[in-house]
Amino acid sequence: MLKLGVFELTDCGGCALNVLFLYDKLFDLLEFYEIKEFHMASSFKEHGHLDVAIVTGTVSSQRDLEVLKHARNYSNYLIALGTCATHGSVQGAVEGKIRAKLEKVYGTRANPMKALDAKPIVEHVAVDFALPGCPYDKMELYQLLIDIAKGIEPVKKDYPVCIECKLNEYECVLVKKGLPCLGPITLGGCNAVCIRSKLGCIGCRGPLPKEANPTSEFEILKELGYDEEYIRKKFKTFARGELRW
Amino acid sequence: MVILEVGEFTRVEGNGKAEIVIENREVKEVRVKIVEGPRFFELLTLGRYYWDVPDLEARICAICYLAHSFASVLGIEKAFGVKVPEEIQLLRELGLIGEFLESHALHLYLLVAPDLFGYPDAIRMVSKHGELVKEGLTIKSFGNYIREIIGGREIHGINIKPGGFGRYPTADELEKIEKSCDELLRMAKRAVNIFATQDVFGAVPVYHIATDEYLYGEKLIASDGERFDYLEHIEEKTLPYSFAKQSKYKGEIFMVGALSRLMLKADKLTPMAKELFEQHKEKLSQGYVSLNNLAQAIELVYAIERAKEIVSTLLDRGIKGENVPIEPKEGEGIGYVEAPRGVLIHHYKIDGNGNITYSNIITPTALNHALMELSLYEETKKNYGTLDENSLTHRLEETVRAFDPCISCSVHLVRL
Ligand code: SF4
Ligand code: SF4
Repeated sequence: MLKLGVFELTDCGGCALNVLFLYDKLFDLLEFYEIKEFHMASSFKEHGHLDVAIVTGTVSSQRDLEVLKHARNYSNYLIALGTCATHGSVQGAVEGKIRAKLEKVYGTRANPMKALDAKPIVEHVAVDFALPGCPYDKMELYQLLIDIAKGIEPVKKDYPVCIECKLNEYECVLVKKGLPCLGPITLGGCNAVCIRSKLGCIGCRGPLPKEANPTSEFEILKELGYDEEYIRKKFKTFARGELRW
Repeated sequence: MVILEVGEFTRVEGNGKAEIVIENREVKEVRVKIVEGPRFFELLTLGRYYWDVPDLEARICAICYLAHSFASVLGIEKAFGVKVPEEIQLLRELGLIGEFLESHALHLYLLVAPDLFGYPDAIRMVSKHGELVKEGLTIKSFGNYIREIIGGREIHGINIKPGGFGRYPTADELEKIEKSCDELLRMAKRAVNIFATQDVFGAVPVYHIATDEYLYGEKLIASDGERFDYLEHIEEKTLPYSFAKQSKYKGEIFMVGALSRLMLKADKLTPMAKELFEQHKEKLSQGYVSLNNLAQAIELVYAIERAKEIVSTLLDRGIKGENVPIEPKEGEGIGYVEAPRGVLIHHYKIDGNGNITYSNIITPTALNHALMELSLYEETKKNYGTLDENSLTHRLEETVRAFDPCISCSVHLVRL
């Protein structure tokens, strides 16, 4: 049996919750894994070495940083799970320095709880696999954990959401309806689920690492009449400053 | 002086702990510390175009993302003076019902039931109580199915939009809901029996607060008969030891959540839920926060019965699937929604271009924060010295859990 730990830093809880949404598949995983720590689901906790650590969320406080370091130091294989962990997600996109933000929201620059500027975990420690998605597709996690258990090198996706849209034969919302859709520059793997809702992709899986062409996407949206500030904000929501145009 | 640390709470969503100050063997103070980092949603939404905002707000919490999108949509529609037809209202209500089922089932079967049966988690309960865990997962996945067809996916779907939906559900999808209801009702009734046996603990709030309709509303209502906007009577203060704020109603500690809804709105329940409420009314009226668990179980019955009513109405009429067109204009609006764990408030000001200029979000966990502290204080006072440290900590965890707190959601506080 492999020893598994699930650690949740600052986030919405979705990526941890999505593990429970595996339902029967979760019980299949339990044939290979023994859960040693999963704060949201269990009061059971056993410190010690882990084969696989899953970490969700951003590092947004000193406490988060300590939990992350613990997870890294005690595990062989660390998975950064979800867009918070891989790219910073929505809280990572809030601009400004921590003290200024605290002042705006809490009315004081004091920082007794040691909040930090939200950063993805990949900026703090080396990870063995990064699986984005806000939240990630749960079957992807299932496959990843099965691969690791069987000693198979897991495959990273490298195609845009557009491909999955075409495979599903959804009407292109960008070209046909002029909706702002980030599908062409966003990493696929969600089965184009938002386009199924006849709405544009908001980029929740983060930017496509290679071959994306944000500049041309930017131009297309400008031609459709969206203003630059609007497009910029949209691009940055899940990806922080990573997209350059 | 001794400081006892209870932390971090497990089987709750997010990261929080408690500190108990003891002086001369007497319990002096309890501080509930929300240690989850701040997420600054109010800042994130400032300057954003209204259309994109409900999708961003969904990310506040995964367990109740749809309640957030919906409260956001309601606030925005109010700011623009938009009214949606009954079809859209019913579909939205159905979405919220899905969320209640998913969230309450998660809470009751996976997070609280292990306490009742003496296990550290539901997974380890399976060998002896597999049937019960399976029933919980069945209700939960049914709730998620509704979230998927109404909200767009199980977590963080973007289908809930100002003026309507991206995509409308098909008759087939709705029929599937209708078909499951009777079987699920049987399971939910069993849950009511189980949770009716739980001990009472925690504090008793001075007031209950809820929205004026069962699942959402135009205004808030309180147990003193007041019907009001939150700014009129709810005051918030920041704390030096927590990322969540504390609120009082007319200066007193209050509660939001399933128990408050039943106490204030039992007349709006569906037939079987009403009957169960009457049956357990005496117990519920004692008002201890732990009774929130039983109240949630009764709400499972309500949600399933109501889902059936809504679906059959919609199937009879057929779905038109027409959105209400929106012209952005300057305005201000507040959305009041019942998230599974209680009242959720989204308040926006929007400029003539449709961009957000002010946003304030108050979540149920922040509203319950003061009562949570009081509950831990009273439980510690009652048990300190008689229970050993482990049992005391366990009791305190159970008390926190009864609130079904969502700690992630409590860390987005208002601008002062
Ligand atoms: S990536 Fe998205 S779903 Fe996952 S924890 Fe972060 S905000 Fe939640
Ligand atoms: S379509 Fe885009 S926004 Fe929707 S789930 Fe996929 S990557 Fe995320």
